[in-house]
Order: sequence, then C-alpha cells, then structure tokens
Amino acid sequence: MARADVAVVGAGLAGLTAAIQLAEAGARVQVMATGHAATHWAPGGIDAGALPGSRTSLDAVERLARLEGHPYAFLADGLPDALAWLRSALGAEGLDLVGELTDPLRAIPTAIGSTRLAAILPDGMAAALPAWTAGETLVVCGPAGFRDFWPDAIAAGLRRPSTWRGHPRPARVEALTVELPGLAGRHNLSSLDLARFFDDPDWRATALEAIARALEGRPQEPGRIALPAVLGLHDHPAALAAARERLPLAPFEVALVPPSVPGLRLFAALRATLRRLGGRLQVGEAVHGVIGADGRVAELRAPAAAREFVLTAGAIVLATGGIAGGGIVAERAGSLVESVLGLPVDGPERGDWLLVDPFDPAGHPLEAAGIRTDVRLRPVAPGALERPLAENVRIAGSLLAGQRFLRQRCGDGVAIASGRLAALELRGSGSAPRSAAVVGAGREARS
Amino acid sequence: MDSMTGRSGLPRTVDVLIVGGGATGAGLLRDLARRGLRCLLVEKADLASGTSGRYHGLLHSGARYVARDAQAARECILENGILRRIAPACIEDTGGIFVATPDDPDDYVGAFPGRCAAVGIPCAEEPVAELFRREPALNRGIRRAFRVPDASLEPWRLVEANLLDARQHGSAALPYRQVVGMERNGGFVAAVSIADVRSGTVERIVPRIVVSATGAWAGRVAALAGVSLPMSPGKGSMLIYNQRMTDSVINRCKPPGDGDIMVPVHTVAILGTTEIGVDDPDHYEVTPAEVEALVEAGEALFPDLGRMRILRAYAGVRPLYMPAEVAGPAGVSAGAADREVSRAHVVIDHEARDGVSNFVSVVGGKLTTYRLMAEQTADAVCAKLGVDLPCSTADDVLPGQVAGHGYYWLGHRLAEHEAAGGGDATLICECELVTRPALEGFLAERMPCSLDDVRRGTRLGMGPCQGAFCTFRAAGVVAALGSAEAPDAAGENAADARAELAQGTLVAFMRERYRGTRPIAWGRQLQELWLSTGIYWGILGLDAFEPATAELPIEVGVGDGPR
Repeated sequence: MARADVAVVGAGLAGLTAAIQLAEAGARVQVMATGHAATHWAPGGIDAGALPGSRTSLDAVERLARLEGHPYAFLADGLPDALAWLRSALGAEGLDLVGELTDPLRAIPTAIGSTRLAAILPDGMAAALPAWTAGETLVVCGPAGFRDFWPDAIAAGLRRPSTWRGHPRPARVEALTVELPGLAGRHNLSSLDLARFFDDPDWRATALEAIARALEGRPQEPGRIALPAVLGLHDHPAALAAARERLPLAPFEVALVPPSVPGLRLFAALRATLRRLGGRLQVGEAVHGVIGADGRVAELRAPAAAREFVLTAGAIVLATGGIAGGGIVAERAGSLVESVLGLPVDGPERGDWLLVDPFDPAGHPLEAAGIRTDVRLRPVAPGALERPLAENVRIAGSLLAGQRFLRQRCGDGVAIASGRLAALELRGSGSAPRSAAVVGAGREARS
Repeated sequence: MDSMTGRSGLPRTVDVLIVGGGATGAGLLRDLARRGLRCLLVEKADLASGTSGRYHGLLHSGARYVARDAQAARECILENGILRRIAPACIEDTGGIFVATPDDPDDYVGAFPGRCAAVGIPCAEEPVAELFRREPALNRGIRRAFRVPDASLEPWRLVEANLLDARQHGSAALPYRQVVGMERNGGFVAAVSIADVRSGTVERIVPRIVVSATGAWAGRVAALAGVSLPMSPGKGSMLIYNQRMTDSVINRCKPPGDGDIMVPVHTVAILGTTEIGVDDPDHYEVTPAEVEALVEAGEALFPDLGRMRILRAYAGVRPLYMPAEVAGPAGVSAGAADREVSRAHVVIDHEARDGVSNFVSVVGGKLTTYRLMAEQTADAVCAKLGVDLPCSTADDVLPGQVAGHGYYWLGHRLAEHEAAGGGDATLICECELVTRPALEGFLAERMPCSLDDVRRGTRLGMGPCQGAFCTFRAAGVVAALGSAEAPDAAGENAADARAELAQGTLVAFMRERYRGTRPIAWGRQLQELWLSTGIYWGILGLDAFEPATAELPIEVGVGDGPR
C-alpha cells in the first residue's frame, strides 16, 4: 500500500502548485490524475482576471473579489505571492513569465486573426504586450503547409480595427508564408512536430535563415513578427534566443489550438520541479475516495492493472477541474456530480445551465458550478458554509464554485492562489496530521 | 447561362421556373431538363439546406407504411429499387430490420410479413440468435426480426448529382436566390421577382410556368401568387450519436411513433424522430422534453442508449399538406401536424383549383419518393405546355455514380481520394477526412459561401469534434485562396473581404453547432462543448468578430397573404 503525507488529485496548475509548495515544505506528496489538464490546451500565460472595462488584471481581481461567492473573495490577497512564487519556480526551469498584475491588459493577436486580453504571458509571447506605436508593422509569418496557422486569414482579421477591442494596434499587418527546410512534402504537421524541429539547433538555424531571407527587401520600419507557438518544446529558451538574434523584427509566439506547446512547456517545468523535490506524479487513473465517519478521507483508490491501487494519505487536495476537466460530471438527469468524493455541487438547475447565445457576455450559469468551501478551502454544503464536510480535504482550482472561466478569465489566478493556500493549510500533514485533533474536537462540539 | 455557381446573372425568360432547391426541386429540374425544356431553379438559401438536408437519412423500403398507407409503401419500394440503380454512390446498403420488442403489439407483428408481401416489399424473418450475432447492442428482449431493403441515403450528394445532370442538359440552379414577388396578369403569373440574398439586387424573370417545390414553405410561395395553400408543417427532431451501434437500419415493428428508428449514417447513427406541429418553418428548437422522449423510446431498441454520447440534436420540417376537403372549409390551424396527416405527395395545378393557369405546387411526400414526385410534376407541367415528352429519370444513371459499395468505413473518403490519384494531402477535417484539395475544389465552385455551406458540401465539421478543430482551418483556406488569386493592392481588399466573410461565418457556424449541442449538453458532450467554447472564446477570441451570414435580410415585395 502506498503512503503519502498529502495526495493531490489533479495535475493542472492548481494541483501542481499545491503539490510543489507542499514538497518544498518537506511533505511526501503524490499527485494522481485521470488525464492531463488545462495546461495542455491553455496558452501558457497567467489569466488572473479580465472584465469589460477593467484596465489591469488587478482591477478585475478586485472587482471579482467583491462579488458574492467568488473564490477571489478569500483568495485575492494571496494572489501576488502566488504569482511571485510561480514566476520564480518557472524561472528556475528557464521559463520566464513577463507582465504584472498591475500592468494594463492588452489585445493579444490570436491564431484565427482575432485578439484576446492578457497581461501576463510567457517570455516567448511577451513581445506582443507593449502598446503598438505609430508606424509599427506586424508581420504574421507561418510555415507553408501547417494546418493550424493561416497567415492570410490572421492578417486579414488583424487589419480590421474592430478586432483590437479598442486597444492600440499596428499601422500595417502583412501576411508571410515561408517554406521551411525539409517540410515541403509534409502535409499534416502538428504544432508538436514543428516544436520538436525547432529543438534541433541546426534545423532551427536554417529555418530562421529562411524566414529572415523572406523578410529581406522589406522597408526598414519598426515592427514585430508573429509566429505560431512552436519555438521549441524541450529547448525553448535557446530557440527563442536564436529567433530574437536572427530575425530583424521582434518575434512573438501566437497560441494555437490544442495541444498547446507553451502549455506543455509549463507542465514539463512544474513536473520537473515536483520530481526534483521528491514528489510523485501518476497520470491515467480515475480516482475515488470516501469520507469516513470521522469526517476524514483516509485513502484514495484507483483501478490498476492487476488490483486496485490504494493510496493512504494524511490529507487530500482536490484539484480535478470543473466540467471541462472532469472534476464535475453533468448528468443527463440534471444532477451535477463531483467525481472523486461525491461532494455536493453548487450549480444551476438543469434548465438554466446554458444560455441561448454561446458567446453571451453574461457567461453561462453552469460556468459558476463547483464546490463551495470555507475560507480554508474545506468543502462545505452549499447551504451550510460553516460546517466542513471533510476536515482533511482542500479544494483548489476550477473545481471551486463561483468563478466564470470564460467571462471573467480568472482561472489561472484562482488556480495558483488556491493551490498556494491549500499548501499553506496542509503543511505538517503526515502520519500524525495536525488537523486530526481539530476534526475530533469539531465533531464532538457539534454532536 | 452556363454556371450553377451564382456568379452569372439570371436569364430573362425560361420555360419553367422551379422554386425550391431540395430533392424534389432538383429532381424536377433534372427531369424537365432531360425532356428538353429550359429551366431555372432558385433556392433562397443553400441547396438541400431545408428539409432535404434535415432528415434521418433513410432510404425507405416502404415497410414503415404497410399497415396504414399501402399506396405510399408501394411507391417507396419501387423508388427504392430505382434509386439503387440510378444513384448508387449516394446509398449505403445497410439493409433494414424491423424488430418486435416485448412492448410491440402482437397483432401488428403477426400481420407485418403478410402486409409487406402484399405490396411487394421483400421481407424475410431472421432468427433472433442471428440478429443478436450481427447486432449485439440490440435489446435482448426482442422476439422477432424481419429484414427489409431499407438503406442509408445521403441527401446532399443526391441533390448535387441531380443538379449536375440538369446542368449537363442545359438548365441551371442558383442558390441564395429568393422569390420576393409574383406579378399576376389576370389568371396568369406574368413575371417573378427574384432577389440575390447576398447582394440584395432584385431581377425580374418571365417564365412560361412556375413550379413551387418548397415543401413546408409552399404556403408562403403560393401567397406570393395570391393563392391560399394551407400547409401543416410538422417538426421532426432527431439525435446524432457519435458511433454506429448498428450496421443496419433498425425499426420498431409497431405503428409509427417517436424514437422508433435508428439509421447508421457514415460514422454516426441517427435516432428519429418526433412529430410536433410548428407555426413557422424557419424558427423552431429541439426541446429537452423531445430529447428525453427520444432517448427513452430508443432504449427499447438499444438498452444502453442512455449512456451513449449524443453529438447533436436537430430537426427538419415535414412538408405536410392537409387538403381543404380534409381540413374542412376553414382550413387548418397551424400546429395541427401529427402522424395522421398523410405523408402522400400531391401535385396541385392551381389552374383548376385557384384559376392561376401557369402555377403548380408539389407538396407532401418524402425523400425516398422525390423522383416520382418530380416525374408526376413534370408530367403535369408538360401537359400544360402541350408537349408530349417521356420521362427518362428512372432509366439513366445519375452522373458521378461510381458502382455501389457495401458498408461505409472510416477510410472511405481517403480511399476515394487515393483512387482519384490525389496523393499526399493535408487533412483539414480529421473526423470526416476532408482533404485540402477536396475543400478547395468545393470552394472554387461555390465561393462566396458560408462555412455552413462547406459543411453540407463536404461534411466538414460533422464528426465527433463538431467543428472545433477544423472550421478555423477552413476559414484559413478561404483566405489563402483569396490572396493567391489577387496578389495586387486592389485585389488585396477583395481577399480581405473574403477572409472577413469566412471569419464572420465562423461565428455563425459555431452558433449553429452550439444550437445543436445545447439540447443534449451533458456528460462527455458537455465536456466537449466546454472545450470548444474554451478554445474559440478563451484562446482564439472569436467574440471580437462580427457575426456574418452569407445572406442579407430580404424584404418580400408582395403582401404575405394567407399562410
């Protein structure tokens, strides 16, 4: 039987933040996940919050913290520390995050030629952040034959002023399609294929040479060049440095449809950090547990090849994600089911799940569905906020009720702030968990 | 006029103007063109985008109708044989099975084989052990099973093939052209006003005869000619499953009802149908109650249906017609559609009925009998024109029909691509295996068009991802084609306009897909919806694009008249 001080369920940004911070504090940590999380499809920056009319992420965070039932109500204070910690953890792995919570949100070009609002991006995308100044040109450059980045369409979209959501925009947008070496006969390249090509120093030198040559003869004017986010998977810092050195325009990566290469880099860096600290990570099993009569979850179970895998743990962080991540299953009959412990879900009635317009700015009521907690992230029933349902369980990330990931763009901020708080809460959990006595006392007091 | 792409203008005069680009209109255009008449078909939206493109995909054997409508059953089995001969590439010969579940009435089941025999439908009882071996997902309580020659019929290819044949015989069909007015000169339609719904320009055309093959919309078109034609549109809702849990069409052996048929279609299977009257054939939704009723009824056939993933719910509007003599002198109120209204088709000569000498409507019917409806309508048209020309549509194979194949398989489209010497190609839609050359071929013929048109023409976006990973690629191909065509400064604007239309219709496409997902959004499919919404709204910023359709709102010039 396996043992851990803390079992973390879910390998997304929230779960890995909690796991690494616990490991840093000396806990034996085991992460279990059914599959990979939003890291594998998100753009790799930190969306802490963006609302119509908010100038900075911090403005949005402060507004959200005042909304009743939003997790920022008790997480916002810890967000700057959480971000600083993540920045330093990723920096140690060679991945830098650029931008602050207090920086203005900017319109960042996307892979369909639209824009999205962001302020904190991976280094590879950072050149998209500064406000566009008069006379600047944007060149949208993609490899010929790549299915997920169409320079003509992207440039056409970015030439329309309305695409920029009222933010500064380049004076000119040009499309450039370049044949990259050795790819002429390749028809179905994925972003991962291209990223692996860019990991090869020799290949990327010739590829960057081809792009630089295609840019020759352009008028000497200030500008930037947008490239698909494929500048290396394992050796991104070197690939990015090479692109900056060789190209006459400041390059920035544009996030693509999944799988997201910048997201994979982020995941790889966090996994490496966790492993270096002695933490374990297992992906591929559906995890279940039961809240015991003592108000604690003593073990987690998962199907394995020959027998059931059983993990005994002093405490548990549940960071399984919302509906997209599978932490909550919305059933045909209308019930919303939390998938690991069967915790009560706070969410709308079946008839109110989804609005008529998929892009309604109000956001779908179902987005806010999740687990209610007290300020210590312990799960509670929606109507009984003072009474934790499981003393040694903490909820983190998109599983928390009250956030709207589409409309509020707060998912990454909530993930790191709640992951950090869960770790602070559970430091010292172990074979004789500090909180055990508290549970006993609490239950006696109630009964 | 030599093009069907809509790039050329309208002719000033034609022998026959056909209104409505569904299967019946297309079949009629083919029929009349082969008889030597010069015809034009106009369709207010895309071809086969109405009821013809919104049915369950069944080529009827006729066995569904044996108990109540022997005439319809006879027509179905005859046309079934004809279509297998003339349109083999549009048919997947799945075969069909009528199964008797424990709930189905004994007398109906007992009489079924005899009734089939009486109208000439081959019907062979299959031992249930053999049935369960072939179709293991079926309800083990099924008592008896009968094989009939049902099949799966692809409507878009069928309509395309009919139009191609018509074009080869000198006629033309134009999508996105809406009839907005008819000029009456006494008992005669002297001219018809036709609007280009994309540019808004209206042109006037003088036909010798006007035929309305507009199905559920026939009342509206008739009103333009000043004629009252009470239609009783019936909504039929269907559910698309993300797998083929059956290789054969499965029908319940009982009087027709909700959720009693499953049709395997390409990579999916379609559960049909409901029957609810609607007021407006342009505006209707699939309700959660309908979905629930369909799934529950379908569980009598496939007990695990409740756990299988549904990709999408959609509905078509049956062109049900209730003749005045049946409905009574007051006509019928909207919403009266039910299974008691006949599925039979009727060719209405408005000369005898309403005193309009050169106007004909064809209403009712079903896709399986589209050719027969066209033949009978063409006979009526020829009689009015005083010409005696024979119909040849049952004899000659439609163009582009490769010999029929057996069951559909996933690699089928790639095999076609290779057989055509396509070589390596970029796959734009990985679910339905749509290659870039295939998409470019479609676009070369049809641009400017919406991505929804691309979907019907190529099946792009119809598979399990419901367009999440391929529609923006299609928009990219549109833009790349545009810029390749017009590299100069003046042309760049045209390319940008094309890209803008594609990006705008991307919004419309995602909305339309969402509309189909929302009634069945639970479990895995809700997760998929959340993923695609997260991609398009969260990562790609689709909400900054202005929605666009390929159409402009058109004002109908003549009073609405009776519906």
